[in-house]
Amino acid sequence: MSAAAATILLAVEGVVAGYGAAEEILKGTSLTVAPGEIVSIIGPNGAGKSTLLKTVAGLVAARKGRISLKGADVTAANALGRTRAGIGFVPQERNVFGAMTVAENLEISGFQDPGGIRTRSEEMYQRYPMLAEKRRALARTLSGGQRQILAMAMGLMNAPSLLLLDEPTAGLSPKAADELFEAIVALNKGGLPILMVEQHALEALEISTRGYVLVSGRNSREGAGPALAADPDIRRLFLGG
Amino acid sequence: MTLLLQALINGLMTGALIAVPAVGFSAIFAVLRYPNFAIASYATIGAFAAWWANVVLGLPIIPALVIAFAIAGTVGVVAEESALSRLRGNGALIVAIASIALNLVLENIIRFFFGNDMRGYDLPLMRDMRFGDLRIGPQQLQSLALAVVIMAAMFAFLRYTRFGKAMRAVADNPDLARLKGIDPARIAIVTVFLGAGLTGVGGVLIGLDTSIDPLTGYRVLLSVFAAAVLGGLGSIPGAVVGALALGIAEELALIAVPATYRTAVGFIAILIMLTFRPRGILGERAV
Repeated sequence: MSAAAATILLAVEGVVAGYGAAEEILKGTSLTVAPGEIVSIIGPNGAGKSTLLKTVAGLVAARKGRISLKGADVTAANALGRTRAGIGFVPQERNVFGAMTVAENLEISGFQDPGGIRTRSEEMYQRYPMLAEKRRALARTLSGGQRQILAMAMGLMNAPSLLLLDEPTAGLSPKAADELFEAIVALNKGGLPILMVEQHALEALEISTRGYVLVSGRNSREGAGPALAADPDIRRLFLGG
Repeated sequence: MTLLLQALINGLMTGALIAVPAVGFSAIFAVLRYPNFAIASYATIGAFAAWWANVVLGLPIIPALVIAFAIAGTVGVVAEESALSRLRGNGALIVAIASIALNLVLENIIRFFFGNDMRGYDLPLMRDMRFGDLRIGPQQLQSLALAVVIMAAMFAFLRYTRFGKAMRAVADNPDLARLKGIDPARIAIVTVFLGAGLTGVGGVLIGLDTSIDPLTGYRVLLSVFAAAVLGGLGSIPGAVVGALALGIAEELALIAVPATYRTAVGFIAILIMLTFRPRGILGERAV
Protein backbone atom coordinates (compact mmCIF):
# COMPACT_ATOMS: atom_id res chain seq x y z
CA MET A 1 0.00 0.00 0.00
CA SER A 2 1.32 3.45 -0.90
CA ALA A 3 2.01 6.15 1.66
CA ALA A 4 -1.07 7.97 0.47
CA ALA A 5 -3.16 4.93 1.27
CA ALA A 6 -2.08 4.90 4.91
CA THR A 7 -5.32 6.67 5.85
CA ILE A 8 -8.58 5.38 4.48
CA LEU A 9 -11.07 7.88 3.08
CA LEU A 10 -13.72 5.48 1.80
CA ALA A 11 -14.15 1.93 3.07
CA VAL A 12 -16.65 -0.50 1.54
CA GLU A 13 -16.79 -3.71 3.55
CA GLY A 14 -18.63 -6.87 2.44
CA VAL A 15 -21.44 -5.01 0.71
CA VAL A 16 -24.40 -6.97 -0.64
CA ALA A 17 -26.76 -5.03 -2.89
CA GLY A 18 -29.06 -5.33 -5.89
CA TYR A 19 -32.16 -3.92 -7.54
CA GLY A 20 -34.99 -6.44 -7.17
CA ALA A 21 -36.12 -7.99 -3.90
CA ALA A 22 -34.21 -11.23 -4.44
CA GLU A 23 -31.58 -10.17 -6.99
CA GLU A 24 -28.07 -9.76 -5.63
CA ILE A 25 -25.62 -7.98 -7.93
CA LEU A 26 -22.95 -7.29 -5.31
CA LYS A 27 -22.18 -10.37 -3.21
CA GLY A 28 -19.89 -9.15 -0.48
CA THR A 29 -17.78 -6.59 -2.33
CA SER A 30 -15.07 -4.63 -0.53
CA LEU A 31 -12.73 -1.79 -1.47
CA THR A 32 -10.95 1.21 -0.03
CA VAL A 33 -9.94 4.61 -1.35
CA ALA A 34 -7.23 6.65 0.38
CA PRO A 35 -6.71 10.42 0.13
CA GLY A 36 -5.01 11.41 -3.12
CA GLU A 37 -5.72 8.15 -4.94
CA ILE A 38 -7.34 7.33 -8.25
CA VAL A 39 -8.92 3.91 -7.84
CA SER A 40 -10.41 2.09 -10.85
CA ILE A 41 -12.93 -0.72 -10.77
CA ILE A 42 -12.78 -2.94 -13.84
CA GLY A 43 -14.45 -6.17 -14.80
CA PRO A 44 -16.58 -7.88 -17.42
CA ASN A 45 -20.11 -6.73 -18.25
CA GLY A 46 -22.56 -7.56 -15.49
CA ALA A 47 -19.82 -7.74 -12.83
CA GLY A 48 -21.63 -5.08 -10.76
CA LYS A 49 -19.19 -2.20 -11.28
CA SER A 50 -21.82 0.51 -11.82
CA THR A 51 -24.00 -0.99 -9.10
CA LEU A 52 -21.06 -0.69 -6.71
CA LEU A 53 -20.66 3.02 -7.51
CA LYS A 54 -24.41 3.59 -7.18
CA THR A 55 -24.35 1.80 -3.82
CA VAL A 56 -21.50 4.04 -2.63
CA ALA A 57 -23.46 7.08 -3.91
CA GLY A 58 -26.58 5.94 -2.02
CA LEU A 59 -28.75 5.36 -5.10
CA VAL A 60 -28.85 1.61 -4.39
CA ALA A 61 -29.28 0.47 -0.77
CA ALA A 62 -26.74 -1.92 0.76
CA ARG A 63 -28.54 -4.93 2.25
CA LYS A 64 -25.48 -6.12 4.14
CA GLY A 65 -22.04 -4.72 4.83
CA ARG A 66 -20.79 -1.28 5.78
CA ILE A 67 -19.81 1.89 3.92
CA SER A 68 -17.84 4.55 5.75
CA LEU A 69 -16.47 7.91 4.66
CA LYS A 70 -13.71 9.54 6.71
CA GLY A 71 -14.43 6.99 9.44
CA ALA A 72 -18.14 7.87 9.71
CA ASP A 73 -20.66 5.14 8.90
CA VAL A 74 -22.83 6.36 6.02
CA THR A 75 -24.46 2.99 5.18
CA ALA A 76 -27.91 4.14 6.26
CA ALA A 77 -27.69 7.53 4.53
CA ASN A 78 -29.58 8.03 1.26
CA ALA A 79 -28.15 9.75 -1.84
CA LEU A 80 -28.90 13.19 -0.42
CA GLY A 81 -27.15 12.31 2.84
CA ARG A 82 -24.10 10.90 1.02
CA THR A 83 -23.85 14.06 -1.09
CA ARG A 84 -23.98 16.15 2.06
CA ALA A 85 -21.32 13.90 3.62
CA GLY A 86 -18.96 14.73 0.73
CA ILE A 87 -19.49 12.09 -1.96
CA GLY A 88 -19.85 13.51 -5.49
CA PHE A 89 -21.24 11.09 -8.08
CA VAL A 90 -21.18 11.59 -11.85
CA PRO A 91 -23.54 9.03 -13.41
CA GLN A 92 -22.83 7.47 -16.79
CA GLU A 93 -26.08 8.62 -18.42
CA ARG A 94 -28.49 11.50 -17.90
CA ASN A 95 -25.79 13.26 -15.93
CA VAL A 96 -26.74 16.83 -16.86
CA PHE A 97 -30.03 18.74 -16.75
CA GLY A 98 -30.67 18.88 -20.51
CA ALA A 99 -33.33 21.61 -20.45
CA MET A 100 -31.12 23.98 -18.43
CA THR A 101 -28.17 26.06 -19.60
CA VAL A 102 -24.55 25.21 -18.75
CA ALA A 103 -24.48 28.08 -16.23
CA GLU A 104 -27.72 26.88 -14.62
CA ASN A 105 -26.40 23.30 -14.44
CA LEU A 106 -23.36 24.51 -12.50
CA GLU A 107 -25.45 26.79 -10.32
CA ILE A 108 -27.97 24.10 -9.37
CA SER A 109 -25.13 21.68 -8.62
CA GLY A 110 -23.95 24.02 -5.87
CA PHE A 111 -27.42 24.04 -4.30
CA GLN A 112 -26.08 23.10 -0.87
CA ASP A 113 -23.95 26.21 -0.51
CA PRO A 114 -25.59 29.11 -2.35
CA GLY A 115 -23.01 31.60 -1.06
CA GLY A 116 -20.17 29.85 -2.86
CA ILE A 117 -21.84 29.24 -6.23
CA ARG A 118 -20.42 32.25 -8.05
CA THR A 119 -16.83 31.60 -6.96
CA ARG A 120 -16.96 27.91 -7.75
CA SER A 121 -18.66 28.49 -11.13
CA GLU A 122 -15.85 30.89 -12.03
CA GLU A 123 -13.33 28.23 -10.94
CA MET A 124 -15.01 25.76 -13.28
CA TYR A 125 -15.00 28.27 -16.16
CA GLN A 126 -11.27 28.82 -15.63
CA ARG A 127 -10.54 25.12 -15.34
CA TYR A 128 -12.68 24.23 -18.36
CA PRO A 129 -12.82 27.26 -20.74
CA MET A 130 -15.23 25.41 -23.03
CA LEU A 131 -17.89 25.73 -20.32
CA ALA A 132 -17.39 29.50 -20.20
CA GLU A 133 -17.85 29.69 -23.97
CA LYS A 134 -21.01 27.59 -23.80
CA ARG A 135 -22.41 28.96 -20.57
CA ARG A 136 -25.67 30.11 -22.20
CA ALA A 137 -26.13 26.93 -24.27
CA LEU A 138 -28.66 24.31 -23.22
CA ALA A 139 -26.86 21.24 -21.87
CA ARG A 140 -28.70 18.95 -24.28
CA THR A 141 -27.02 20.75 -27.22
CA LEU A 142 -23.46 19.88 -26.05
CA SER A 143 -21.38 17.14 -27.68
CA GLY A 144 -20.71 13.91 -25.74
CA GLY A 145 -17.27 15.05 -24.56
CA GLN A 146 -18.48 18.51 -23.62
CA ARG A 147 -21.36 16.98 -21.68
CA GLN A 148 -18.99 14.74 -19.72
CA ILE A 149 -16.83 17.74 -18.83
CA LEU A 150 -19.94 19.60 -17.68
CA ALA A 151 -21.07 16.56 -15.67
CA MET A 152 -17.66 16.38 -13.99
CA ALA A 153 -17.67 20.12 -13.26
CA MET A 154 -21.16 19.70 -11.76
CA GLY A 155 -19.80 16.93 -9.57
CA LEU A 156 -17.18 19.37 -8.26
CA MET A 157 -19.59 22.19 -7.43
CA ASN A 158 -20.41 20.77 -3.99
CA ALA A 159 -16.66 20.56 -3.21
CA PRO A 160 -16.74 16.78 -2.61
CA SER A 161 -14.16 14.85 -0.59
CA LEU A 162 -14.41 11.98 -3.07
CA LEU A 163 -15.54 11.96 -6.71
CA LEU A 164 -17.19 8.88 -8.21
CA LEU A 165 -17.11 8.61 -12.01
CA ASP A 166 -19.27 6.00 -13.74
CA GLU A 167 -17.79 5.16 -17.17
CA PRO A 168 -16.83 8.77 -17.95
CA THR A 169 -15.51 7.98 -21.44
CA ALA A 170 -18.46 5.82 -22.57
CA GLY A 171 -19.54 6.80 -26.07
CA LEU A 172 -16.72 9.30 -26.58
CA SER A 173 -14.32 9.44 -29.54
CA PRO A 174 -10.74 8.26 -28.74
CA LYS A 175 -9.55 11.90 -28.80
CA ALA A 176 -12.33 13.07 -26.46
CA ALA A 177 -11.67 10.05 -24.19
CA ASP A 178 -7.94 10.93 -23.98
CA GLU A 179 -8.80 14.53 -23.13
CA LEU A 180 -11.15 13.36 -20.42
CA PHE A 181 -8.51 11.05 -18.91
CA GLU A 182 -6.15 14.07 -18.87
CA ALA A 183 -8.83 16.11 -17.11
CA ILE A 184 -9.29 13.32 -14.52
CA VAL A 185 -5.53 13.16 -13.82
CA ALA A 186 -5.39 16.97 -13.51
CA LEU A 187 -8.25 16.93 -11.03
CA ASN A 188 -6.53 14.24 -8.97
CA LYS A 189 -3.25 16.14 -8.99
CA GLY A 190 -5.20 18.98 -7.38
CA GLY A 191 -5.77 16.62 -4.44
CA LEU A 192 -9.19 15.14 -5.20
CA PRO A 193 -9.48 11.35 -4.68
CA ILE A 194 -11.36 9.60 -7.50
CA LEU A 195 -13.11 6.24 -7.65
CA MET A 196 -14.11 5.30 -11.18
CA VAL A 197 -15.62 2.55 -13.24
CA GLU A 198 -14.28 2.51 -16.78
CA GLN A 199 -14.81 0.47 -19.94
CA HIS A 200 -11.39 1.43 -21.26
CA ALA A 201 -9.91 -0.69 -18.49
CA LEU A 202 -6.23 -0.62 -19.42
CA GLU A 203 -6.15 3.14 -20.00
CA ALA A 204 -7.95 3.65 -16.69
CA LEU A 205 -5.54 1.37 -14.80
CA GLU A 206 -2.53 3.18 -16.27
CA ILE A 207 -3.62 6.46 -14.65
CA SER A 208 -4.83 4.82 -11.43
CA THR A 209 -3.00 4.45 -8.13
CA ARG A 210 -4.78 1.16 -7.54
CA GLY A 211 -7.36 -1.01 -9.25
CA TYR A 212 -9.91 -3.67 -8.36
CA VAL A 213 -11.14 -6.41 -10.69
CA LEU A 214 -14.75 -7.32 -10.01
CA VAL A 215 -16.26 -10.58 -11.31
CA SER A 216 -19.90 -11.58 -10.64
CA GLY A 217 -20.22 -9.08 -7.80
CA ARG A 218 -17.14 -10.33 -5.93
CA ASN A 219 -13.58 -9.04 -5.64
CA SER A 220 -11.37 -11.02 -7.99
CA ARG A 221 -8.04 -9.14 -8.05
CA GLU A 222 -6.58 -5.93 -6.72
CA GLY A 223 -3.28 -4.16 -6.98
CA ALA A 224 -1.38 -1.11 -8.19
CA GLY A 225 -2.98 0.32 -11.36
CA PRO A 226 0.01 0.12 -13.74
CA ALA A 227 0.90 -3.37 -12.42
CA LEU A 228 -2.62 -4.63 -13.11
CA ALA A 229 -2.53 -2.99 -16.55
CA ALA A 230 0.68 -4.90 -17.33
CA ASP A 231 -0.61 -8.21 -15.96
CA PRO A 232 -0.95 -10.75 -18.81
CA ASP A 233 -4.18 -12.21 -17.38
CA ILE A 234 -5.79 -8.79 -17.20
CA ARG A 235 -4.58 -7.89 -20.69
CA ARG A 236 -5.99 -11.17 -22.01
CA LEU A 237 -9.30 -10.49 -20.28
CA PHE A 238 -9.64 -6.96 -21.68
CA LEU A 239 -7.73 -7.14 -24.96
CA GLY A 240 -8.63 -10.73 -25.82
CA GLY A 241 -5.06 -11.71 -26.64
CA MET B 1 -64.16 40.03 -40.50
CA THR B 2 -65.39 41.81 -37.35
CA LEU B 3 -66.83 38.51 -36.14
CA LEU B 4 -63.48 36.84 -36.67
CA LEU B 5 -61.52 39.59 -34.91
CA GLN B 6 -63.99 39.60 -32.00
CA ALA B 7 -63.60 35.80 -31.73
CA LEU B 8 -59.80 36.15 -31.70
CA ILE B 9 -59.92 38.80 -28.95
CA ASN B 10 -62.37 36.76 -26.88
CA GLY B 11 -60.22 33.68 -27.47
CA LEU B 12 -57.10 35.42 -26.21
CA MET B 13 -58.98 36.63 -23.11
CA THR B 14 -60.41 33.15 -22.39
CA GLY B 15 -57.04 31.53 -23.12
CA ALA B 16 -55.19 33.85 -20.74
CA LEU B 17 -57.63 32.96 -17.94
CA ILE B 18 -57.27 29.22 -18.60
CA ALA B 19 -53.48 29.61 -18.82
CA VAL B 20 -53.11 30.42 -15.10
CA PRO B 21 -54.60 27.14 -13.76
CA ALA B 22 -53.00 25.27 -16.70
CA VAL B 23 -49.58 26.51 -15.56
CA GLY B 24 -50.38 25.28 -12.04
CA PHE B 25 -51.50 21.89 -13.37
CA SER B 26 -48.39 21.55 -15.56
CA ALA B 27 -46.02 22.56 -12.75
CA ILE B 28 -47.44 19.81 -10.52
CA PHE B 29 -47.25 17.29 -13.37
CA ALA B 30 -43.66 18.26 -14.23
CA VAL B 31 -42.36 17.63 -10.71
CA LEU B 32 -44.65 14.91 -9.35
CA ARG B 33 -45.29 13.12 -12.67
CA TYR B 34 -49.05 12.58 -12.27
CA PRO B 35 -52.09 14.58 -13.47
CA ASN B 36 -53.72 16.13 -10.41
CA PHE B 37 -57.42 16.49 -11.25
CA ALA B 38 -58.10 17.92 -7.78
CA ILE B 39 -56.97 21.25 -9.24
CA ALA B 40 -60.66 21.77 -10.16
CA SER B 41 -61.51 22.04 -6.47
CA TYR B 42 -58.37 24.13 -5.77
CA ALA B 43 -59.67 26.60 -8.38
CA THR B 44 -63.08 26.64 -6.69
CA ILE B 45 -61.53 27.03 -3.23
CA GLY B 46 -59.48 29.97 -4.51
CA ALA B 47 -62.59 31.52 -6.06
CA PHE B 48 -64.54 31.21 -2.78
CA ALA B 49 -61.62 32.40 -0.64
CA ALA B 50 -61.36 35.54 -2.78
CA TRP B 51 -65.16 35.99 -2.67
CA TRP B 52 -65.04 35.81 1.14
CA ALA B 53 -62.17 38.35 1.25
CA ASN B 54 -63.79 40.64 -1.30
CA VAL B 55 -67.49 40.51 -0.36
CA VAL B 56 -67.45 39.61 3.35
CA LEU B 57 -64.26 41.41 4.42
CA GLY B 58 -64.58 44.17 1.83
CA LEU B 59 -61.04 43.84 0.49
CA PRO B 60 -60.14 44.92 -3.06
CA ILE B 61 -59.49 42.26 -5.69
CA ILE B 62 -55.67 42.24 -5.54
CA PRO B 63 -55.44 41.38 -1.80
CA ALA B 64 -58.31 38.91 -2.38
CA LEU B 65 -56.19 37.24 -5.07
CA VAL B 66 -53.28 36.93 -2.65
CA ILE B 67 -55.59 35.33 -0.07
CA ALA B 68 -56.96 32.97 -2.73
CA PHE B 69 -53.40 31.97 -3.67
CA ALA B 70 -52.41 31.31 -0.06
CA ILE B 71 -55.55 29.33 0.86
CA ALA B 72 -55.68 27.24 -2.34
CA GLY B 73 -51.92 26.58 -2.04
CA THR B 74 -52.26 25.50 1.60
CA VAL B 75 -55.23 23.22 0.85
CA GLY B 76 -53.21 21.72 -2.01
CA VAL B 77 -50.24 20.96 0.25
CA VAL B 78 -52.43 19.51 3.03
CA ALA B 79 -54.33 17.34 0.52
CA GLU B 80 -51.09 16.20 -1.11
CA GLU B 81 -49.33 15.34 2.13
CA SER B 82 -52.31 13.74 3.87
CA ALA B 83 -53.77 11.79 0.94
CA LEU B 84 -52.09 11.77 -2.47
CA SER B 85 -48.42 11.45 -1.50
CA ARG B 86 -49.14 8.15 0.29
CA LEU B 87 -50.28 6.65 -3.03
CA ARG B 88 -47.35 7.79 -5.18
CA GLY B 89 -45.60 4.43 -4.83
CA ASN B 90 -48.54 2.75 -6.60
CA GLY B 91 -48.04 4.64 -9.86
CA ALA B 92 -49.35 7.75 -11.57
CA LEU B 93 -52.70 6.24 -12.59
CA ILE B 94 -53.68 5.41 -9.01
CA VAL B 95 -52.78 8.93 -7.80
CA ALA B 96 -54.68 10.48 -10.73
CA ILE B 97 -57.81 8.45 -9.85
CA ALA B 98 -57.41 9.38 -6.18
CA SER B 99 -57.17 13.04 -7.17
CA ILE B 100 -60.60 12.74 -8.90
CA ALA B 101 -62.03 11.33 -5.64
CA LEU B 102 -60.31 14.08 -3.65
CA ASN B 103 -61.83 16.64 -6.00
CA LEU B 104 -65.33 15.33 -5.25
CA VAL B 105 -64.69 15.46 -1.49
CA LEU B 106 -63.35 19.05 -1.57
CA GLU B 107 -66.12 20.20 -3.93
CA ASN B 108 -68.75 18.88 -1.51
CA ILE B 109 -67.04 20.49 1.47
CA ILE B 110 -67.40 23.83 -0.36
CA ARG B 111 -71.03 23.01 -1.10
CA PHE B 112 -71.60 22.18 2.59
CA PHE B 113 -70.36 25.60 3.73
CA PHE B 114 -71.49 27.87 0.88
CA GLY B 115 -74.43 26.04 -0.75
CA ASN B 116 -75.08 25.78 -4.48
CA ASP B 117 -75.97 29.42 -5.13
CA MET B 118 -74.09 31.45 -7.67
CA ARG B 119 -72.13 34.33 -6.20
CA GLY B 120 -70.49 37.37 -7.73
CA TYR B 121 -67.61 39.55 -6.65
CA ASP B 122 -68.16 43.11 -5.47
CA LEU B 123 -67.11 44.89 -8.63
CA PRO B 124 -68.16 48.24 -10.10
CA LEU B 125 -70.33 47.95 -13.19
CA MET B 126 -68.55 49.23 -16.28
CA ARG B 127 -69.59 49.60 -19.88
CA ASP B 128 -67.76 47.62 -22.55
CA MET B 129 -65.15 49.58 -24.45
CA ARG B 130 -65.87 49.91 -28.17
CA PHE B 131 -63.27 49.95 -30.94
CA GLY B 132 -65.37 50.29 -34.07
CA ASP B 133 -67.57 47.20 -34.01
CA LEU B 134 -65.30 45.41 -31.57
CA ARG B 135 -66.21 45.28 -27.86
CA ILE B 136 -63.93 44.57 -24.92
CA GLY B 137 -65.04 44.47 -21.30
CA PRO B 138 -62.85 46.49 -18.87
CA GLN B 139 -63.05 43.60 -16.39
CA GLN B 140 -61.80 41.21 -19.08
CA LEU B 141 -58.88 43.54 -19.75
CA GLN B 142 -58.06 43.76 -16.06
CA SER B 143 -58.19 39.96 -15.75
CA LEU B 144 -55.98 39.64 -18.82
CA ALA B 145 -53.44 42.04 -17.30
CA LEU B 146 -53.52 40.12 -14.00
CA ALA B 147 -53.04 36.81 -15.82
CA VAL B 148 -50.06 38.21 -17.74
CA VAL B 149 -48.45 39.60 -14.56
CA ILE B 150 -49.02 36.33 -12.66
CA MET B 151 -47.52 34.23 -15.47
CA ALA B 152 -44.56 36.62 -15.84
CA ALA B 153 -43.96 36.29 -12.07
CA MET B 154 -44.08 32.49 -12.37
CA PHE B 155 -41.58 32.50 -15.25
CA ALA B 156 -39.28 34.85 -13.32
CA PHE B 157 -39.52 32.56 -10.29
CA LEU B 158 -38.55 29.52 -12.37
CA ARG B 159 -35.74 31.28 -14.21
CA TYR B 160 -34.12 33.46 -11.57
CA THR B 161 -34.73 31.99 -8.11
CA ARG B 162 -32.90 29.15 -6.39
CA PHE B 163 -36.09 27.23 -5.68
CA GLY B 164 -37.40 27.83 -9.20
CA LYS B 165 -34.24 26.37 -10.69
CA ALA B 166 -34.42 23.47 -8.24
CA MET B 167 -38.00 22.83 -9.39
CA ARG B 168 -36.81 22.68 -13.00
CA ALA B 169 -33.95 20.38 -12.03
CA VAL B 170 -36.27 17.95 -10.19
CA ALA B 171 -38.69 18.03 -13.14
CA ASP B 172 -35.82 17.24 -15.53
CA ASN B 173 -34.11 14.48 -13.52
CA PRO B 174 -35.06 13.83 -9.87
CA ASP B 175 -32.26 11.30 -9.25
CA LEU B 176 -29.59 13.70 -10.48
CA ALA B 177 -31.19 16.52 -8.49
CA ARG B 178 -30.92 14.38 -5.35
CA LEU B 179 -27.23 13.82 -6.08
CA LYS B 180 -26.77 17.59 -6.22
CA GLY B 181 -28.11 17.98 -2.69
CA ILE B 182 -31.69 18.94 -3.66
CA ASP B 183 -34.44 17.26 -1.68
CA PRO B 184 -37.17 16.33 -4.22
CA ALA B 185 -39.74 15.87 -1.42
CA ARG B 186 -39.21 19.46 -0.27
CA ILE B 187 -39.38 20.73 -3.85
CA ALA B 188 -42.59 18.74 -4.36
CA ILE B 189 -44.22 20.61 -1.45
CA VAL B 190 -43.16 24.00 -2.85
CA THR B 191 -44.43 22.98 -6.29
CA VAL B 192 -47.80 21.81 -5.02
CA PHE B 193 -48.20 25.04 -3.02
CA LEU B 194 -47.39 27.13 -6.10
CA GLY B 195 -49.41 24.97 -8.50
CA ALA B 196 -52.51 24.80 -6.29
CA GLY B 197 -52.13 28.51 -5.45
CA LEU B 198 -51.97 29.47 -9.13
CA THR B 199 -54.99 27.29 -9.81
CA GLY B 200 -56.83 29.10 -7.01
CA VAL B 201 -55.95 32.44 -8.59
CA GLY B 202 -57.13 31.06 -11.93
CA GLY B 203 -60.47 30.21 -10.28
CA VAL B 204 -60.81 33.85 -9.15
CA LEU B 205 -60.01 35.22 -12.63
CA ILE B 206 -62.61 32.90 -14.17
CA GLY B 207 -65.09 33.98 -11.46
CA LEU B 208 -64.41 37.66 -12.19
CA ASP B 209 -65.40 36.99 -15.79
CA THR B 210 -68.71 35.32 -14.84
CA SER B 211 -69.76 34.17 -11.35
CA ILE B 212 -68.74 31.42 -8.94
CA ASP B 213 -70.40 28.30 -7.54
CA PRO B 214 -69.08 24.92 -6.28
CA LEU B 215 -68.62 23.71 -9.87
CA THR B 216 -66.52 26.71 -11.05
CA GLY B 217 -63.31 24.68 -11.20
CA TYR B 218 -64.92 21.51 -12.51
CA ARG B 219 -66.35 23.39 -15.52
CA VAL B 220 -62.90 24.46 -16.68
CA LEU B 221 -61.08 21.24 -15.78
CA LEU B 222 -61.33 19.81 -19.29
CA SER B 223 -60.06 23.06 -20.84
CA VAL B 224 -57.15 23.21 -18.37
CA PHE B 225 -56.22 19.58 -19.05
CA ALA B 226 -56.59 20.08 -22.82
CA ALA B 227 -54.38 23.19 -22.66
CA ALA B 228 -51.67 21.26 -20.79
CA VAL B 229 -51.84 18.33 -23.24
CA LEU B 230 -51.80 20.70 -26.24
CA GLY B 231 -48.72 22.52 -24.99
CA GLY B 232 -46.96 19.36 -23.82
CA LEU B 233 -47.66 17.84 -20.38
CA GLY B 234 -45.15 19.16 -17.87
CA SER B 235 -44.14 22.16 -19.98
CA ILE B 236 -45.06 25.47 -18.38
CA PRO B 237 -44.53 27.64 -21.49
CA GLY B 238 -46.43 24.89 -23.32
CA ALA B 239 -49.39 25.28 -20.94
CA VAL B 240 -49.59 28.99 -21.80
CA VAL B 241 -49.35 28.35 -25.56
CA GLY B 242 -51.86 25.49 -25.27
CA ALA B 243 -54.32 27.62 -23.29
CA LEU B 244 -54.16 30.49 -25.80
CA ALA B 245 -54.54 28.07 -28.74
CA LEU B 246 -57.49 26.37 -27.04
CA GLY B 247 -59.15 29.66 -26.10
CA ILE B 248 -58.96 30.90 -29.67
CA ALA B 249 -60.10 27.53 -31.08
CA GLU B 250 -63.11 27.50 -28.74
CA GLU B 251 -64.18 31.03 -29.70
CA LEU B 252 -63.65 30.40 -33.41
CA ALA B 253 -65.69 27.20 -33.16
CA LEU B 254 -68.58 29.22 -31.74
CA ILE B 255 -68.85 31.05 -35.07
CA ALA B 256 -69.76 27.78 -36.75
CA VAL B 257 -71.42 25.65 -34.03
CA PRO B 258 -73.85 26.32 -31.13
CA ALA B 259 -72.31 27.24 -27.73
CA THR B 260 -73.35 23.88 -26.27
CA TYR B 261 -70.62 22.25 -28.37
CA ARG B 262 -67.90 24.47 -26.92
CA THR B 263 -66.67 21.73 -24.58
CA ALA B 264 -66.20 19.41 -27.55
CA VAL B 265 -63.34 21.62 -28.77
CA GLY B 266 -61.24 20.57 -25.76
CA PHE B 267 -61.92 16.87 -26.42
CA ILE B 268 -61.13 17.23 -30.11
CA ALA B 269 -57.91 19.16 -29.32
CA ILE B 270 -56.75 16.37 -26.95
CA LEU B 271 -57.65 13.72 -29.53
CA ILE B 272 -55.82 15.44 -32.40
CA MET B 273 -52.75 16.21 -30.32
CA LEU B 274 -52.44 12.72 -28.82
CA THR B 275 -52.87 11.18 -32.26
CA PHE B 276 -50.42 13.29 -34.23
CA ARG B 277 -48.01 14.82 -31.69
CA PRO B 278 -48.28 13.16 -28.26
CA ARG B 279 -45.44 15.32 -26.89
CA GLY B 280 -47.52 18.46 -27.41
CA ILE B 281 -46.63 21.72 -29.15
CA LEU B 282 -43.55 22.50 -27.03
CA GLY B 283 -42.75 18.95 -25.94
CA GLU B 284 -42.68 17.25 -22.59
CA ARG B 285 -40.65 18.32 -19.56
CA ALA B 286 -39.46 21.67 -20.83
CA VAL B 287 -40.79 23.22 -17.58
